[in-house]
Amino acid sequence: MESISRISGMLEAARDLTLEAAHGASTARPARPPRPLPLPQLKKLLESRSERDVHDGLRRVLTMTLTAPRSATLPLFTSVVNQIASPSPLTRKLVYAYLLAHAEHAPDTALLSINSIQRALSDPNPQARATALRVMSGIRVPAISGIVALAIKRGAADMHASVRRAAALACPKCYALDPATGPSTLEEVIAQLLVDKAYWVAGAAVAAWRAVCPDRWEMLHPAYRGLVRKLVDMDEWGQIVTLRVLTTYVRRCFPRRVKRVRKQRVGAGVDEKGVTEAGAGAKNKVATEDDLKNFYGEDDDTQGRKEQEDAEGDESSTFDSPENYDEILQLDPDLDLLLRTSLPLLQSRNSAVLVALARLYSAVDSPTSTPQTSTYLDRAVGPLVALLRSPVDIQLIALHNIVALALSRPAPFVPYAAHFVQRASDPEPVSQLKLELLTLLFAASRPPSTPSDGTPTRALILAELAHAMRARRSPALVSAAVRALARCARAADPTTAAYCLRLLLAQLRAPDARLVGETLECVRVLVQLDPGAHARTTVVRLARSLDGAAAPMARACIVWLVGEFAGLDPADNIAADVLRVLVKGFADEDESVKAQIVLLAAKVYVHWLNVTKDEREGAEAAAAGKDRGAQQLGEQQSSINFLGGEDEGGFADNVFDTNATFTTTNATNDDGPKSSDPFADHPIPLLWQHTLLLARYDTSYDLRDRARLYRALLATPSSTELATLLLLAPKPIPHAPSPSEGHQHYVLGSASLVVGEPGGGADSVAGLGLPGYEPLPDWVEPGREPNPKLRDEGRGDEYSSEGRGAHVPASEKLDEAAAAQPAEKKANGLKEKSLDDWLEESEGEQESEREGSEEEETETEEETEEETSEEETEEEESEGEERDRLIR
Amino acid sequence: MTDIEALYIFDAHNNCILEHVYASRPPPARTVLPLYLAHPSPRPSLLHLPNTTPPVLLYSLVQDQLLFLSPHTSDTEPLLVLEFLHRVADALEDFLGSPLLASRIESRYDVVAQLLGEMCDGGLVASTEPNALRDLVSTESWVGKVMGGLGLPGASSFKHPVGPPPSLPPVPWRRANVRHTSNELYVDIVETLLVTLSPSGLPLRATANGTIAFTAKVSGVPDLLLSLTCAGGGKQAVEKTVRLPVFHPCVRLARWRERPGTLSFVPPDGRFVLAGYEVDLLAGRGLGGDVDIPTPNAVGSKGGSSGAAASAAKLNIPAAVEVQTGLGPSGSEFEVSLFLSPRSMSSSASSSSSSLGGASTPSGSGGSGGGRPGLNRGLSSSGSNPLAALSSFSSAGTSQAPTLSDILVRIPLPPSVKSLPEIRPSRGEAMFAAADMAVEWRIASREVTGLMGAGRSGGGRGAAPAATLRCAVVGMVSDDEDEEGEEEDGDAVGGGVAQWTGGRVAETWEYDDPSAMAVSYQNEPALTGQNKKRARKDAVEKERERDERRAKQNAVLMPSGAIVSFQVKGWLASGVRVESLNVDTRASRGLGAGVTPFKGVKYLTVSDEGVESRC
Repeated sequence: MESISRISGMLEAARDLTLEAAHGASTARPARPPRPLPLPQLKKLLESRSERDVHDGLRRVLTMTLTAPRSATLPLFTSVVNQIASPSPLTRKLVYAYLLAHAEHAPDTALLSINSIQRALSDPNPQARATALRVMSGIRVPAISGIVALAIKRGAADMHASVRRAAALACPKCYALDPATGPSTLEEVIAQLLVDKAYWVAGAAVAAWRAVCPDRWEMLHPAYRGLVRKLVDMDEWGQIVTLRVLTTYVRRCFPRRVKRVRKQRVGAGVDEKGVTEAGAGAKNKVATEDDLKNFYGEDDDTQGRKEQEDAEGDESSTFDSPENYDEILQLDPDLDLLLRTSLPLLQSRNSAVLVALARLYSAVDSPTSTPQTSTYLDRAVGPLVALLRSPVDIQLIALHNIVALALSRPAPFVPYAAHFVQRASDPEPVSQLKLELLTLLFAASRPPSTPSDGTPTRALILAELAHAMRARRSPALVSAAVRALARCARAADPTTAAYCLRLLLAQLRAPDARLVGETLECVRVLVQLDPGAHARTTVVRLARSLDGAAAPMARACIVWLVGEFAGLDPADNIAADVLRVLVKGFADEDESVKAQIVLLAAKVYVHWLNVTKDEREGAEAAAAGKDRGAQQLGEQQSSINFLGGEDEGGFADNVFDTNATFTTTNATNDDGPKSSDPFADHPIPLLWQHTLLLARYDTSYDLRDRARLYRALLATPSSTELATLLLLAPKPIPHAPSPSEGHQHYVLGSASLVVGEPGGGADSVAGLGLPGYEPLPDWVEPGREPNPKLRDEGRGDEYSSEGRGAHVPASEKLDEAAAAQPAEKKANGLKEKSLDDWLEESEGEQESEREGSEEEETETEEETEEETSEEETEEEESEGEERDRLIR
Repeated sequence: MTDIEALYIFDAHNNCILEHVYASRPPPARTVLPLYLAHPSPRPSLLHLPNTTPPVLLYSLVQDQLLFLSPHTSDTEPLLVLEFLHRVADALEDFLGSPLLASRIESRYDVVAQLLGEMCDGGLVASTEPNALRDLVSTESWVGKVMGGLGLPGASSFKHPVGPPPSLPPVPWRRANVRHTSNELYVDIVETLLVTLSPSGLPLRATANGTIAFTAKVSGVPDLLLSLTCAGGGKQAVEKTVRLPVFHPCVRLARWRERPGTLSFVPPDGRFVLAGYEVDLLAGRGLGGDVDIPTPNAVGSKGGSSGAAASAAKLNIPAAVEVQTGLGPSGSEFEVSLFLSPRSMSSSASSSSSSLGGASTPSGSGGSGGGRPGLNRGLSSSGSNPLAALSSFSSAGTSQAPTLSDILVRIPLPPSVKSLPEIRPSRGEAMFAAADMAVEWRIASREVTGLMGAGRSGGGRGAAPAATLRCAVVGMVSDDEDEEGEEEDGDAVGGGVAQWTGGRVAETWEYDDPSAMAVSYQNEPALTGQNKKRARKDAVEKERERDERRAKQNAVLMPSGAIVSFQVKGWLASGVRVESLNVDTRASRGLGAGVTPFKGVKYLTVSDEGVESRC
């Protein structure tokens, strides 16, 4: 959802705004902020009798508080705190703000203020009580932790919901102050507040529970159903924390029961929607339910509750799947209640709520999905995609989450592919994620069952990637697009893959050397995937582009490709000729290219040796050992004649001891065997020799070493097994992961998902995440889960009596209540009442509140009901009214 | 487990104007700011800074030139923090006035301190509803200052209760005891266009993001019913048009589920966003078949130009552009044509949006409608209590005569462009902004009106562009350099390969190689590279070749698209309109009998760099 300020900006003429801004910048800046006064003068202001002076002084002090270090304002502590008993609420609030910021630094003086705050705790105004509780717990002085705990306990029993809410929020602060201060007291309070029937207390209580005692899961059991029903009505922040806690709770307390059921009738109880709207679905499917009841009677009779039947009714969607056996996830009725009640939250305006929902649904969904629960997750997909309408900062995080979800389940996102089209105004990280997402969607976009709708999505995605490469917004983006395209090509059918490859090859002309290298890297993978199809076309084409390709990385890659694949078909082999041309310019090449040329030469030579092996063996048989020696000579010749250096010496000593002596003896009849050997004059051995020579005189010792290695390897033309093994082994195809794949295992909505591994090193254990990261627990083993009876609400409080018998969300129940209200009763009471009457009544109510505070123990429920509805007379009616208003 | 640890606000010059710590001990503002700035722009909204003590996650938000930073020492939910930052910005703006300026914060630190304290309590987000905050935070407005001296309560529309309110309001988002002397209700629907046109002119994507902003200045606790319709007819049309809606918590979702298009709610006091939705302007047509893999040669052809204009009209976009690149002898020029389709706006409300609503009318017939906008029929008042008809309150840009204004065409250029020696707009002003590498072409509203008039009288649907802009580009690489590159190595690998394999490769060639070399290679496999080169070096050939070569080089300098921004007042791309806005007098309280609030509706379609044409 757009923020209101942005919309206002659009609606109001932009000119006015800029004028105002300019005005504000020019005039207000020097004049408006009060000039800092010297401390004595400030003190005088603060201690003045005039309220206005005190305000002015406090304002100046607060200005310093928010901008200057604490030491600047600390000397004024006593003067400020003296004003805490001021009758003016504004003054008190300003003093509170100061106190909260400074108490930690002056703990002793801060204690002076406790008394008057404590007095405010029994203020008749509930808001004043709540504020006092908030401030008292916010004073970070460990000495008062006992008093704070007492105040919290008292606040938790307050009849006004806002005070109870303040009490809930105070618990974590009290706990942080002194963790030893009776956790039992705090836990007691939290347990009490968790089952509070005011929905906005419950949300705060869950937050407090999470901060104070996140391991006491047993405290949640009695509150579970109440929390679920209140979920829709809570404020957004309460919803976020409740969803988060309940997601973990679900994993801990509901075992995953999957049942394999033999499919009986095709089409029985088919409910395409899978998830039905709460309550409504059950009515529609009476017949289905009966069928199922009989059916489940055979092997499942553990639970006879109505909820169970409903849950099973939903499962009927699994019946139309093609397998003979269906996996049916048995949802615990309480879990089902949570899932269905939370559905309306999908229309929340808060992005964090949506992601929390997606997390809940995916937690229930994994690891093996079933058609039934997956529909919950599928429903969350649309609202998640809608987050792309948000401001760009939220978009970025939302996209991270969408990508994480799409990695495991891309199919539901496919209809939304057009939402991920690049925009020129997208910042780079957003564009990167969009590209990645499109690749994921590409792979998923052609489900086998529906071939018709996959193709345009694929065409769209390819067009999109092609544009991203052509637009050249930034080098990183283009290389991301190239990699994305390569991933698409791997997933594509042959025609599309050829198109992808053509797009990639067009990039070879790009001026950016790094990009070209990146492209070739991708092309290489594609060629490796299907060498048969590419060896004669792509590789040849690439070889031709060696004329133009300037980047060493690109050249090296092409040479490698030529060596790897051009030799596959010995009859049609360009590798040797490429080598011939390359060797001409050997001296001017980059070192990496040189290394690849030497490797190419070795491969070409091995290929040649393998091909001519039979003929050579025949010839060898004829010429006995002489030929072999001569061949050997051809190689050793050079080393002996031209080098003979010290580094060569060691080499010959170790390996070619016998050969060396053999060669030296034959050194004189150099020309003889060569001319007689029909193979020695062949260009390939000559090329090989030439390349070795070139490498030998290179300045790079690495290159010289390589050359020596290959020469040793190929020293004996008759035995090429080892060389073949080393040089011509099929190379593994590198895995090209989606960039976010490493983050996939993190829980949705966590910061670790966005940032990834903090260290990034190999030693960091995957899944640890950032400090404070909480992974989802595994499903509890069946049989070890807590007894579901624990979740039965012990006492009949309002929520359960309202919602008993069905798991209708509170809002719907309230709707019904409102509808049941006779219309004319509404009309006569309120129409005549003027606002003044109304105001008087609420004041009257306040007074009665004050009096009634002693009786709160007995009348808590009634009283609080009154407060939220704020009506004293016509209680029933106003209650109905209230509910109507609260329905979302 | 804290949600928020600290909040730092910096002004446009990165001076810290506010530093507020909620919980634990995050690194101070002066430590995190340089680390934040060290990250190259655009900076992501979540950064991980491992080098601070302790290591922090840094959330950031830039609004109205103010930078909001929030450091965190542990893993939190990023969206929660960012939403909170947005709410803080909104609340500050609500209290201090819009736009949010550093000076406004600096002059009202007393209010800011209270706000921050109330919004987040000990690290847990407490209360973010602006109305609730109004009750909690005591302000002393200047009116109050003046009046306070006289002992009178401040009398303004922004009246704050003098004492604390007697008790909490019945609905959390509405403050208690609201009183207004003039009761007013305003509905503002803003749709932001997001359209991407492929080079052939076919839309890749066309959506409009709608936001319904509501301003309620009504006494008491009113209960309102807002009905939306689409011209296509019934509730079905609304349900199909308005997709993926999100709502303010005050909206009763059950009502919407029963009858889509009906928003029943008790509004907060003041201005707020009631709902958001999106509209697929391609609905009905979908992606199917329309999107083709673009062929590179189709760019700039005549067929393409009519395509862009036609699709703009078909999509009901009032303005669209098209870019033709590689013009001129050496391909160093490009031309941007702006197409306006005034008809799309006038006819949209009645006929064309019916096709959007999924009716079977083909979209081509959109222009034939009578052109009655039907937006301003006046709202039907309900029951015994006749209510004032809605009236459009903005003088310019009513729904009868929507006005198109503020046309800005932005043409981003690749970074290798050095300068533009020639920029010739046929209308308006254009200039090259070297800082963000883009040409900005602005057409004043006055001129737009003239163009629109011409477009109406001409009647041709996008036949001719309303205005054109022609530019010539010079890149970083000078022209001389390519001369030497032209001398290709005589013994090129390609030629050599041919010699070696006897041309067998050519038979299996499956790609159409754009380079001239491939052609000659296939045709004359027997020639050696040397001969081939020599044969081609005729003078004319050489000249042509150099031009081609330059064009190829200049192709790198060509823009890849153009983006149009504009504003249309009084018109919505989706055809959604407000049918009625009623106060449910039976459910409302505190609104005096017989009081009929003034109601106003405003429609606005914005393209904030939203219509993008690729080439």
